[in-house]
Amino acid sequence: MTRASLVRVAAFLAALAALQWLAPLALNPYYATILARIGIAIIAAVSLQLVNGFTGQFSIGHAGFMALGAYSSAAFSVYLGAGLLDSLGDGALARLGYFPLPLVCGGLVAAVAGLVVAVPTLRLRGDYLAIATLGAGEIIRIAILNIDAVGGARGFSLASAAHPSVDLRFDSLAGVYGVAVLTIAAIARLVYSGGGLAFRAVREDEIAAESIGVATTRVKVEAFFVSSFFAGVAGALFAHTEGYIHTNSFSFVRSFELVAFVVLGGLGSLSGAVIAAAVLTAAPEGLRGLGEWRMILYSLLLIVTMIVRPQGLLGQRELLPFGKSRGAA
Amino acid sequence: MENFLQQLLNGITWGGIYALIALGYTMVYGVLKLINFAHGDVYMVGAMTGYYAAHALGFAAHPSLPGLFVTLAASMTACGLLGATIERVAYRPLRGAGRLAPLITAIGVSLLLQNAGQLVFGADPKFFPPLLRAHEVFRAGEVAVSNIQLTVLVTALLLMGALEYIVQRTRFGRAMRAVSYDAPAAALMGVPVDRVISGTFVLGSMLAAAAGILVGLSNPKIEPLMGLMPGLKAFVAAVLGGIGSVPGAMVGGLLLGVIETLVTGYLSSTYRDAIAFVILVLILLYRPTGLFGAPTTEKV
Amino acid sequence: MALLEVTGLTVRFGGLTAVSRLDFSVDEGALVALIGPNGAGKTTAFNVITGVYAPTEGHVRFAGREIGGATPHAICAAGVARTFQNIRLFRALSALDNVRAALQGAVRSGARDMLRGPGWRRHERAAEDEARKLLDELGLGSFADARADSLPYGEQRRLEIARALATRPRLLLLDEPAAGMNPAEKQALRALVAALRRAHGLTIVLIDHDVSFVMNLSERVAVLDHGEKIADGAPEAVRRDPRVIEAYLGAESGAHA
Repeated sequence: MTRASLVRVAAFLAALAALQWLAPLALNPYYATILARIGIAIIAAVSLQLVNGFTGQFSIGHAGFMALGAYSSAAFSVYLGAGLLDSLGDGALARLGYFPLPLVCGGLVAAVAGLVVAVPTLRLRGDYLAIATLGAGEIIRIAILNIDAVGGARGFSLASAAHPSVDLRFDSLAGVYGVAVLTIAAIARLVYSGGGLAFRAVREDEIAAESIGVATTRVKVEAFFVSSFFAGVAGALFAHTEGYIHTNSFSFVRSFELVAFVVLGGLGSLSGAVIAAAVLTAAPEGLRGLGEWRMILYSLLLIVTMIVRPQGLLGQRELLPFGKSRGAA
Repeated sequence: MENFLQQLLNGITWGGIYALIALGYTMVYGVLKLINFAHGDVYMVGAMTGYYAAHALGFAAHPSLPGLFVTLAASMTACGLLGATIERVAYRPLRGAGRLAPLITAIGVSLLLQNAGQLVFGADPKFFPPLLRAHEVFRAGEVAVSNIQLTVLVTALLLMGALEYIVQRTRFGRAMRAVSYDAPAAALMGVPVDRVISGTFVLGSMLAAAAGILVGLSNPKIEPLMGLMPGLKAFVAAVLGGIGSVPGAMVGGLLLGVIETLVTGYLSSTYRDAIAFVILVLILLYRPTGLFGAPTTEKV
Repeated sequence: MALLEVTGLTVRFGGLTAVSRLDFSVDEGALVALIGPNGAGKTTAFNVITGVYAPTEGHVRFAGREIGGATPHAICAAGVARTFQNIRLFRALSALDNVRAALQGAVRSGARDMLRGPGWRRHERAAEDEARKLLDELGLGSFADARADSLPYGEQRRLEIARALATRPRLLLLDEPAAGMNPAEKQALRALVAALRRAHGLTIVLIDHDVSFVMNLSERVAVLDHGEKIADGAPEAVRRDPRVIEAYLGAESGAHA
């Protein structure tokens, strides 16, 4: 690694440590929860951007992958993790070492589901792909709703009956934002590279992409796989910060919200997705005084934006110089 | 056997409802190539308008068949206007903006109707007034047919018949079919495309409103989010029949209603909502153009 | 053995026979033209050779291997590249990125791009340099960072050629490369195609409507009409072939040429 990148990594870790230490002192729990939700929304939106914005596949069932990540990681923690942490003494170090596990578990389960959904549906185009993904998301949600071991219609609490003293919650903003930065970095690196041009080539013109040797189906499946992985991680983080999950949080309305983030931020802009996810997750909280009007304003915003500025906030532009070539515009 | 017949009857009744809603989806997709996600919420507005109309006009207190028809007319008119307004304000500006922007807007309109509905109608469920005094019309052993079921079925079939007549036998219907087939060519031939599209929305919304009233009759609990699931399922029905095909939506709706009821009755009720989506995925994988649709190819 | 061998190729779409029992071969290093009136089946033949359609009957062999029915990306990997009749550039991407996509989009590793181990940056820079070189060779150097759809029409056509060349093909199929160009531009294109052929050791098959453009450029001309080959030989002989004249005159007396 170059010295420059070593410095960047060190600065990043220092910032996380500072956040971990300062946050509980400076923020009351309400704001901490909002910030955590913002971080999770960012991860989910950025993961969706890979499929919708960069690969041009209109997926509107993303909440289903978040649900899989949330529930599988929660089950992992409740049925395996609690015992593990208990036997390790549940100290700070043990917890630090443990918490990546349910996140990765959630990500992998969601990623496998992404494969299962992608392989048969990716031969569909446009509208048809959209409704297929919608259907998949709903099937996943309803299937989970029927599994008693994770609570079914009552929802699932992140508490182990066998090890009641272990706190399975993951109260770390540093953790959430650390993962968010890693997610953005991973997807930016994937897409903004010479090889990553394949995703945008598929978006721009599939037939032309095939003619230059791009295996378009494989590229689309890869996009789904990576995207679902991070959606699963977002879901896992959600489960572990909230401490209680219910499939109602993962309905197609949630999928629509994620699509709104990606579209309003600009289809094809990571920065846009981040900004839109942050603002649109924070705003309803800030607008809480308006009561029911906040959701109405939000939907009006969606409608007006599509008429007045359909490319969203940033279109395909980025605010950070992700992998620009020399002498770029 | 008798249980089967009862289930079949229930299934056809629900199928009629799905068909009425599905017709709106399929007609709009035919002329605009747009999936109008807000359509299910128009169905909800229909039920709500019927509720208020029935109370305001005094039919809630005095159930009668004419009362039902007046309520139907009032609700269908209101929702027809709503559909035309949505098209004019939200979709027409996006004509020619590709397929994605209108889809997003449709999602926005759907969210708007749901949340405005919660604001205006209140989030708590209401009870649709019994516009007909319920009684059994017919019984054969264990199979019972109530007048409500009969009314729902007959009304649905009459409306579908009326629509079929409009589509096949009137100038407007011909214009609608022309625009579905090739909008630019139809425009060149002098078909008033804007008015045809507007009219399509009006017709579809009227049918959705009727569906809302009929559901209110048979399942009286109504609330602002009631349009989500039936809307999605009716959409599946439209895809099953072949999106863009009017007979397809009717057949798709009836089929979906029957399959859903039979599977729920004989296998499991907790997966009721999933059945529609499983059908959707299967259809898209094995016959994406649906039962009555025609495949299209892209010229390279 | 010819580089490209098409034998008994028939392509049917439902009730329409677009290509009928076509026999056509191209030796390595040759420059052959495929002409014929509109709807003759020329682009369909290209589409089958490049894998967009599968043959209904018949065979397509490239460098001795059967490629009929293979996927377009596999055929590209085998060494066949093409341009399109209606330009299909990656419009939102820069000219440079269009070429880079062709250089790097086929053989890529998501893991390598995410992890960026030693050598990654060197590899990226080398690819970018090669892309710029290709752009320069096609006279597009100054457009490197411009959006592909902002380029003037002639430059867009040349960009498509640059992108196709980036896949290092042995066989290059050009579909109406001179469409929409004025005589001066066509002259320049002729020279460019000849130069590229020499510089990259290419075998070229090109489709065009403009008979005179084709006559001055190619060594051999094959003529299709209504899906069948009606002539195949030296340009002068083909030009005087009565069947060819009738095919074109017959088409011209119809709705449009």
